[in-house]
Amino acid sequence: MVRRLLYLNGIAILFVIFFHAAGWGFTAMFAWTPRYLPVSAPVYDQVGSLSYYWLRLVEQIVVVAIPAFLFVSGYFMAFSAGRRDNVTWKQIGGRVKMLLFPYIFWTLLMWAAKLAQGEIFPLTGYAIMFFTGRTTPAYYYVPLLIQYYLLSPFIIPFARNKWVVLLIITGIIQFSLQLSQMLVLLNGLQGVPDFVRWLAVVPKWFFLARLFWFVLGVVVGFHIKEFKQFLARFKWVFLVTAVVCIPLGMMEWEAIIRFSGQDWLEHRETILDSIYSLAFIFAFFAFTNVALPLNKQVSDLGVKSFGIYLAHIPAMEFTARGIYLLIPALLGVQLLFQPIMVVFGLGIPLLLMAVVNRSPARRYYSYIFG
Amino acid sequence: MDREAVLLDYVKNELLRGRANGITVEDDLLGAGLIDSLGILQIVAFVDERFNIQIPDEDVVYENFNSVKALSDYLAQY
Repeated sequence: MVRRLLYLNGIAILFVIFFHAAGWGFTAMFAWTPRYLPVSAPVYDQVGSLSYYWLRLVEQIVVVAIPAFLFVSGYFMAFSAGRRDNVTWKQIGGRVKMLLFPYIFWTLLMWAAKLAQGEIFPLTGYAIMFFTGRTTPAYYYVPLLIQYYLLSPFIIPFARNKWVVLLIITGIIQFSLQLSQMLVLLNGLQGVPDFVRWLAVVPKWFFLARLFWFVLGVVVGFHIKEFKQFLARFKWVFLVTAVVCIPLGMMEWEAIIRFSGQDWLEHRETILDSIYSLAFIFAFFAFTNVALPLNKQVSDLGVKSFGIYLAHIPAMEFTARGIYLLIPALLGVQLLFQPIMVVFGLGIPLLLMAVVNRSPARRYYSYIFG
Repeated sequence: MDREAVLLDYVKNELLRGRANGITVEDDLLGAGLIDSLGILQIVAFVDERFNIQIPDEDVVYENFNSVKALSDYLAQY
């Protein structure tokens, strides 16, 4: 099972790239329509097209990416504690440092790119962006993971001895947040009680948002034998659940859009998506006898996942904007636009990593890519 | 090269990429934050490929991986 963690990390980073490629696909489909169709303002005419449902299907399948990353991180926090009572603050400091240096590097790079485009923020703006990861839509993951690392000494004793209670409590938190978000989507901020409104606006960089996934990883790390027995007993249930949740999740999101009265809504993780993610992760580890395709290549991506995660954002943004400026007709052909975004989103970070790894800057590799 | 030397070489060149050439087999790799969780997984995969030893999940614990010497001592049973 342990070796599969690396593969899961590889799948997760591929899924992140597919997710962001789909996100740029929707930008091209709606916001950038005037670049390739004779319309003067963004239109939502393509909602319901084949391309639209293809992008939604991709989004739906890859929604497991961040839960999978957090699961793997939690698992290894349990590993770090070993047979001792808890992890040490020195270990946590070491881990945080390994996240922080690359995060600072890429954040500064993105700020420089914004500055070059004339985007200047007040000092507090930079501070907020740094501490919440709002520099890009994806960097929230780093402050989120750092919070989980810092909370680990408090999570570990419960994960060892009171793990059922811990999973139930964090599961309820996750359920409450997602239920509140759905209620707000359907009724608007004014149409729900105050406490629901507060729960619904918990930001994704805040530790409560995805605590369950990290805790699940820690619990599994401490109780691996019981976990394997549990997986073996219900493996087909997990597989069927994961498969069934994909079309159900798509239908759920379409229903939410209809009931909200909007033309289109950017996808957010729902309760059904969480059930899918849980079933996906469990099914992935349950079928240990099934050989994994491209094991070495995908695991290699898993090793490089943090660097790819940080670098793929500017790579995809420059690619999308380049296409917008130079070949706008491509924006209307998702069949070509999507593969290009994926290839550049993955290829540019891998190329940068290979260049640094073969250059005199090799000793600084981990400060840039983790 | 014996196993310990092979492992040390792998950690220095592949995982640390020359960042900490002075490390010894006794150094606490995890405690000092020199390698992370993915580094451990890489070592597990390397041991499998290089020595044809598949480390059971239950043995992938901090105590067996906190230094090159700890890992080498653990692998001595195979």
